[in-house]
Amino acid sequence: MNDYMIQLTKNPIITKLIKKIGLPNPPVELHRNNNPWEERPFNDQPVVIGQMSKTAITKTLAETIAKGGGNPFIENDDDILNIFSEVGHGYGRLPQMLVQGELPEKLTPKMLIFDASNIQKPEDLNQVYAFFKNHLRSLAICGRVVIVSRPPDTQKDISTAAASRALEGFIRAMAREIGFKGATANIVYVAPDSENRLEPVIRFLLSERSAYITGQPINVNNQVISDEPIPKMRPLDGKTALITGAAQGIGAAIARTMAREGAHVIIMDRPGEDIPAGKLASEINGNLLFCDITEPSAGNKIVEMIQKNNNGLDIVVHNAGITRDKLLINMKPDIWDQVLHVNFRAILNVNEKLLSIMRSNGRIVCLSSVSGIAGNRGQTNYSTSKAGVIGFISALAPKVSEKGIAVNAVAPGFIETQMTAQIPFATQLVARRLNNLNQGGTPDDVAETITFLCSPGAYGITGQVLRICGGALIGA
Amino acid sequence: MNHTNKRRAVIIGGVRTPFLRAFGDFTPLSTIDLGVAAVKGLLTKFPIAWKEIDSMIWSGVVLPSATVNIGREILFDLGLPMEIEAYTITRVCTSSLCAITLAAAAIERGEADVMIAGGSDSTSNAEVTMPQSLVHKFAPVVLSPKSTVKDYFKLLTKLNPKKDLIPQRPAIRERLTGELMGESAEKMAVRNQIHRKAQDIYAMQSHQRAARAIETGRFASEITPVTLPNGKQVFADNIVRGNTSLEKLAKLKPAFAKNGTLTAGNSSTLTDGAGAVLLMEFEKAKSLGLSPLSQFRSWSYDAVDPTDQLLIGPAISMPKAVHKAGMTRKDIDLIDIHEAFAAQVLSVLKVLGSDQFARDRLGYNKAFDSIDPKDINIHGGSVALGHPFAATGARMVITMANELKLSGQSTALLGICGAGALSAAAVLEAV
Repeated sequence: MNDYMIQLTKNPIITKLIKKIGLPNPPVELHRNNNPWEERPFNDQPVVIGQMSKTAITKTLAETIAKGGGNPFIENDDDILNIFSEVGHGYGRLPQMLVQGELPEKLTPKMLIFDASNIQKPEDLNQVYAFFKNHLRSLAICGRVVIVSRPPDTQKDISTAAASRALEGFIRAMAREIGFKGATANIVYVAPDSENRLEPVIRFLLSERSAYITGQPINVNNQVISDEPIPKMRPLDGKTALITGAAQGIGAAIARTMAREGAHVIIMDRPGEDIPAGKLASEINGNLLFCDITEPSAGNKIVEMIQKNNNGLDIVVHNAGITRDKLLINMKPDIWDQVLHVNFRAILNVNEKLLSIMRSNGRIVCLSSVSGIAGNRGQTNYSTSKAGVIGFISALAPKVSEKGIAVNAVAPGFIETQMTAQIPFATQLVARRLNNLNQGGTPDDVAETITFLCSPGAYGITGQVLRICGGALIGA
Repeated sequence: MNHTNKRRAVIIGGVRTPFLRAFGDFTPLSTIDLGVAAVKGLLTKFPIAWKEIDSMIWSGVVLPSATVNIGREILFDLGLPMEIEAYTITRVCTSSLCAITLAAAAIERGEADVMIAGGSDSTSNAEVTMPQSLVHKFAPVVLSPKSTVKDYFKLLTKLNPKKDLIPQRPAIRERLTGELMGESAEKMAVRNQIHRKAQDIYAMQSHQRAARAIETGRFASEITPVTLPNGKQVFADNIVRGNTSLEKLAKLKPAFAKNGTLTAGNSSTLTDGAGAVLLMEFEKAKSLGLSPLSQFRSWSYDAVDPTDQLLIGPAISMPKAVHKAGMTRKDIDLIDIHEAFAAQVLSVLKVLGSDQFARDRLGYNKAFDSIDPKDINIHGGSVALGHPFAATGARMVITMANELKLSGQSTALLGICGAGALSAAAVLEAV
């Protein structure tokens, strides 16, 4: 970890000194879990649940928490308590009632959930305010906040749609306030008739695997047609995954994480990366494919190789990408073209061929970037390519949803890799701090998120860009 | 041997030794000695010609490392024909139930016509072992023929008194989680909101019922007296406290956690004892002039996650066994559940009443039943009688098989939890 500030916080003398001098808090080392998916990711932690009243998703929330191994605390509502009791009864996770909204002494909830799925009008937002005003202070270090609501564009009533949309602003601002303790806040918009797709998404957001995602909206809908079983452990068992640019950095982390969860991984990279790629392949028992993705025959080569060795392809991660930063006025044509070719055109060309061998219930994930959303000085080529990728997944998603294939992009912020290590030192120092969590993310943060998106449980998410940026201050 | 009609395995009957608190009168008796007492009592009660016995399946949890196949040793000590083969199994606290159903399965399959099955444990004689590092240091010297006195002296200098010479105190601890079983049960009490009072009330029920059974001589025909080396004879279980009260139980300190709810009073205790059951093929029993007492309609052996409610397994096994028997809850007359801890029994009963549990863990539409703790264990259970690990299953089979005959009822459902998050259940039917 290049982040010296987090190293500093491990020294108790220095942290005392920092406090005494009155310097701002150094970043908290995030609680991460890079072990195989487990049956109960919530680790017996207290979860406080708030709501306006019983909704269609109350039971789903109760089941998610009980199955996930959390201990529920309900705010004054007998109806809700009964539902959580009935569910908890079967799992030894009986709920406790909060009397007058008071938490038992010394209770620091690890998770705060608010079910706003039946919000009707702007006045209802006062209840959301009241719940969080009451409990946010006691949220644990690296805690989780999740609000669930309905997508504004599915609401016929104008004030309902407006109130629902307002919650996104609420979450974004809250995320900026709680980042100092490593805590995250996100909102899940679940479309009507998609409640049964909610559990795996909430499980992921509340777990330690979503450590670097904060201030983000996630949409869950039923566009993708699938009836695959949803395992809680080894979700990628039996799946074949192709990852481009997998020899090092984020690509290698994705390969390792997917292999850990049972996938058979095809590691693809340029012939020049043969040594790291070879090491990785033997480490995770994966296959190797050396190919320059800009070759016109790249797509055919990949298809040929996969058809020879496997029955088909389940997962494609378009991770290979380069930067060639230069101000536009100084950007020579070859630099412009290289980046557009590798990061954008090659993906479209290769993906077209891959679709023909992709099995149903497949997954396609592209690596975009915060730079593609917000732009970045010196990156007109990069930002163009990464925004193009966003357009690509948005357009492709509806076309393949019938086959059960979900297509998404992730937009990492500042991730500690070889690529970001090459940024001028002073810029790095500052760039790392420009987010809610006050630190850079790790390749594992990206890998865990992509692995989740490629799991059967993520079939409610398609055509979306999920930022893994620690709540970067730029863009939206 | 009956090869033509469908073979049926039946229980002729069973006998157990008294169950005594560990480090009491049974201390000089090894687990083999206790097994001998039980099998001898069995063959006294059912005097069949010894040449009729085909084989024996015995069980134990605390097995002596020098002679792990204690079943075979029991046969030798009794002077039974050497041609009777015997093996010894362990399935933690479900051991003797497992031995008995293995015997039933073997008879049904045609491997034997007459079998003895049971289990014994002498907790008083649990071995306390020297650290393995001592063996690793000593062995090369001791095993080499060329070792001299000087080598032995050098060996002594290499010993670390703290690491090599201090034996480990035995404990009932899960290897996977490092938790004492009582600690796991304590967690279950919290998860299922089983309060101290409920546990004490249940413990009192167990003691009072067991005491009444002893007073009325209900266990008399099931217990064989044991003669100690000093000539004294032991006739009765000695752990039961018929005069216990809630006040007395309330005074006990928590045993497994600070501010915990489990105490020595509402947990089962370390015990010595053995139990043996005689099984035969139905036609064979008739030909020997013996009347069958009971038979197994079904059994179920299962496992759950030790890190998530270690002892909840019976809530899986019991409904499964009933389902396998083609029966429903309404068809079950008697329920007998091994009481490792009152908190564990009450947790199992609670969860058996959950529709969510039935749906998610068993795939059934509705909960098994909301069972009142008063409606189980009519003659008390392990909390009162004690728990010689491998003998408990035999005790339950014997008492329930006899109870069906005495009361004229048809079916009994047994449930047992065990270490490693194993569980077992069986449906017994009167014949």
